[in-house]
Amino acid sequence: MSSVTDFDAIVVGAGPAGAAAALELARAGRSVCLLERGPFPGSKNMYGGVVYGRILDTLIPAWWEEAPVQRWVTRRSTMIMTGDQAVTVDFRNEAWGAAPYNGATAYRPDFDAWLAAKATDAGAVLVCSTTATGLLREGGRVVGVRTDRPDGDLRASVVIACDGVNSFLAKEAGMYPHTDPSNFTVGVKETIGLPREVIDERFGVRGDHGVDIEIIGCTGDVPGGGFVYTNGESLAVGLVLSLPQLAAGDTRPEELLRRMKTHPAIAPLVEGGEVLEYSAHVIPEAGYEMMPELVGDGILVAGDAAAMCLAAGIWLEGVNFAIGSGAEAGRAAARAIGRGDTSSAGLADYRRRLESTFVLADHHRLRAAPHLVMSPLAQQQLPKLACGVLEDLFTVTNPEPKPGLRRIVRRRMKREGVSTREALKQGLRALRTFG
Amino acid sequence: MLVAACVKYVDLRPQVDRLTGHVTDGGTSGWSAADLAAVETALRLGETWSAPVAVVSAAPESADAALREFRAVGVDRVVRVELGLEAGVELESSDVANVLSDTLRSLDASVVCCGDYSADRGSGSVPAYLAHGLGAAQALGAVEVHTEGPGSLRLVRRLDGGRREQLVVDAPCVISVEGSVAELRRASLGATLAARDAPIDVVPVPGLHGHASPVTRPWSPPARVQPAPAGDAALQRVVELTGALVERTPPRTVELSADDAAELILDQLRAWGYLESSAQESSE
Ligand SMILES: Cc1cc2nc3c(=O)[nH]c(=O)nc-3n(C[C@H](O)[C@H](O)[C@H](O)COP(=O)(O)OP(=O)(O)OC[C@H]3O[C@@H](n4cnc5c(N)ncnc54)[C@H](O)[C@@H]3O)c2cc1C
Repeated sequence: MSSVTDFDAIVVGAGPAGAAAALELARAGRSVCLLERGPFPGSKNMYGGVVYGRILDTLIPAWWEEAPVQRWVTRRSTMIMTGDQAVTVDFRNEAWGAAPYNGATAYRPDFDAWLAAKATDAGAVLVCSTTATGLLREGGRVVGVRTDRPDGDLRASVVIACDGVNSFLAKEAGMYPHTDPSNFTVGVKETIGLPREVIDERFGVRGDHGVDIEIIGCTGDVPGGGFVYTNGESLAVGLVLSLPQLAAGDTRPEELLRRMKTHPAIAPLVEGGEVLEYSAHVIPEAGYEMMPELVGDGILVAGDAAAMCLAAGIWLEGVNFAIGSGAEAGRAAARAIGRGDTSSAGLADYRRRLESTFVLADHHRLRAAPHLVMSPLAQQQLPKLACGVLEDLFTVTNPEPKPGLRRIVRRRMKREGVSTREALKQGLRALRTFG
Repeated sequence: MLVAACVKYVDLRPQVDRLTGHVTDGGTSGWSAADLAAVETALRLGETWSAPVAVVSAAPESADAALREFRAVGVDRVVRVELGLEAGVELESSDVANVLSDTLRSLDASVVCCGDYSADRGSGSVPAYLAHGLGAAQALGAVEVHTEGPGSLRLVRRLDGGRREQLVVDAPCVISVEGSVAELRRASLGATLAARDAPIDVVPVPGLHGHASPVTRPWSPPARVQPAPAGDAALQRVVELTGALVERTPPRTVELSADDAAELILDQLRAWGYLESSAQESSE
């Protein structure tokens, strides 16, 4: 083993999880190598667009003064739509537009590069344009990684796999018992350029304030959801689609996205914009239900590699979960290295600590949410029911007298084939899931 | 004998202000494929002739990390010429060549390899100015580079009509290569890690005054108003609109002096209505 390739820890992937892990290891005084396959951190990464930065408070105090942010989200809307109708619950909170803020839109090449720079400033060694192609093992124990560079073996006491969704390293380590495609969704997104003033006007915001719209009922026959986020001078408009059902149907994701963009509630928002970029990425939708073993002999898994993205309808949060889990993995690895025991027993407190943080607590509590959100009730019947009830409520039928709300709801439920029993059952299920 | 490669560090993702056209650093800088091919060519020549290889770049301090990657692939010495200019301020090609040739002379470089274009698609004239400054032979825009003997090169260049020309040049010489000539080798992991602390020689050149990068505006030819096409059927209207069946002037080939050719092009642009006619111009 050459001394120049000897580190206490290797972190694979300089996304939010990897950068946070490397930062905590470096701060604990451990030598750490952060491997990234792209030419710079974030160069290969896409997402919808909102980072919830609260988790950064403990890692980088006053992070909001320096993080590369596009807009601070001060309006969150949830839109339920049918073919040509839409119901929107719109929440505006000016407090989110001032420190310590809540969520912010940010470009990943900027955000990931900024976070990774924090790790290198603390002493981590970042090696870009280098792909980890496999694990090095000795007697079943992980002792390093093989990379695609000549003489590319790198050895360390701990490897932290932060290589994103569908982690080849976690699979190679045998930490994923099986892979079920129905646990995944695919996200597709267009970045649409528009002048800042046009965005301000269309979305009713000023300065560096921005909007986050989550949409349900916009994906045709394929279960999923949609989003529209405002950046400084562009919009992120995208869909999240069930992978097996997308594959089984004959409509391509870009066609579904085109349809959403022509919906009367969305078309005026994107009109005249120039598509700057189209991108797609897989999401580990099933969260808790699909999580792998998090700890192995000489290896930890964090972020999307461990299916820690929270995709629960009104929440699509992955970056904060990646940072939270990455930081805990880094701390656990640093402690284990300090104790000289990086076996799975020595690293085991990673899982215990994660359970006491929001990462596993939220995932555990919301474990049924992905299924509920993808159910036919939520996807097909609820949008029709909500839009139908409001249509009946607001359509003036003079000289007929106004119908009562109860009658309207009953009539619409009947039309959509939803029995009172089923509605109560699903309502209770939703309460139990989100309550 | 020393083989040198000269490369230009350029912002690969510049941010352009839509209103003013002002260009700012996008934070992702690097080299053109042609510059990387120049470094690989220099490495191969160095290996063939058992000569040391140096990379020289007039670049700001922020280029150091990217320059160290050349150490990782086997370059013996990296020299950064520090111009001390503010971001967005550039030197004329001839001035860049002047400062680079001073450094190349002090290194005793016999063969200098350049890329035939930089990542910002500049004028591509620095290699020619360099050759002039060094009093060296020049062979620019090579698509193949072969060694003939120590210090002697045979290059293949493109000519019009798919033809090729072969040039033999002897040191001292400056060559420029297209990006397809060679792909820069991949550094081993150990060398990549070791190069992180590799020294870079910095040569300060104080007292230079560049010019700010020009403020550019998007330009499109003035639109001409066309009458709506006549015809009842869509096909008729499309035919009229596109002029598909209209007799037209066939393209012609003329051989003229540069001045006459320019005049002819201007006349034609006036005839098509893209330029004001001379009478109108003079009356304004
Ligand atoms: C369409 C879409 C919308 C989303 N919207 C949001 C949102 O609005 N808010 C939010 O918080 N989350 C969102 N997410 C989820 C979020 O993007 C992820 O949860 C988050 O990026 C996970 O971070 P990570 O560091 O675990 O993995 P990633 O961000 O995927 O990073 C993995 C890194 O590892 C590198 N890598 C992979 N394999 C290797 C290898 N073998 N060797 C070296 N490097 C490797 C990659 O290049 C990458 O840099 C969205 C996701 C999608 C797809």
